[in-house]
Amino acid sequence: MAMPTPEHILRITPTRTPRATILFVPPLFEEANRSRRTLVLAMRALAADGFAAQLPDLPGQNESLVPLAEVDLARWQDALTKTAAAIDGPLIVASLRGGTLIDHSANAAARWRLAPVSGASLLRTLMRARVAADREARLTSSLDSLQANAVTAPLLIAGNLLSPAMMAQLGSAEARPVAPLRTVTLGSGAEAIAGTPLWLRAEPGEDAAMAAAIAADIAAWSQTCGIS
Amino acid sequence: MTEPDTVDATLRALLADVLGLGEDRAAALTDNSGLFGALPEFDSMAVATVLTEMEDRLGILIDDDEIDGEIFETYGNLLAFSLRKVTD
Repeated sequence: MAMPTPEHILRITPTRTPRATILFVPPLFEEANRSRRTLVLAMRALAADGFAAQLPDLPGQNESLVPLAEVDLARWQDALTKTAAAIDGPLIVASLRGGTLIDHSANAAARWRLAPVSGASLLRTLMRARVAADREARLTSSLDSLQANAVTAPLLIAGNLLSPAMMAQLGSAEARPVAPLRTVTLGSGAEAIAGTPLWLRAEPGEDAAMAAAIAADIAAWSQTCGIS
Repeated sequence: MTEPDTVDATLRALLADVLGLGEDRAAALTDNSGLFGALPEFDSMAVATVLTEMEDRLGILIDDDEIDGEIFETYGNLLAFSLRKVTD
């Protein structure tokens, strides 16, 4: 069997030796595309502040050659653990939205999470998009009928062909407790950063101020944890 | 949380977030403003996202068979549905 092609990793590095590496775990499915631009702006800001930043493709996502129907959350978690293990020096794992569901087994000095979401909530939105698209095509489907079909065969929902294992794992996945961890939401206050939930947005957008806020919050958390 | 004004404000903010309307366009929505079929951003994925966000932000549960095309026809219809769900 041929060795699998390694997944692409977007790396943005500072000119001098990095203070630490920030490994970003992107949101899942369409939310990743909607957030990517702002996430990369945050990576640039971190690099300007002396951090190395990495954004790996999850198998089956973005530029990966792996068919999405072959992966599940366990494989994503495993891929991240391996990516983290290949990084030298202090490491902070920073995950967004559905990325928080797969970030807990990577070996890291600290973790940072933005706007965690349950797998069930992500799945519900995807399933509803399928039901709405079916309705437009004058087909009748329901969340229940789709869920029943998905037990035995991959299900195409909102452009994603998801395996029975992926559907089952998503249905019950929650972000796991880890330490040290800082969790922030969007909004105002000490446990929040100001910004727009671009991952919900129907049309692509970007938020430079939010990217700067993400970078500043991660840098501050790194110092709080005594990393650098 | 169940005040009509709060539901209205929550719904406008939610549509601004999902559809990228910006504060001004969201504030200018009237009961007769068309949504699905009228706003190009409002596709089936946006419908799905709006429903899940309504559940999260309004603290309601929306059943599959409660949803028909009419709810998303106008802002007034969506607001009336939300108010009904919140007071249920």
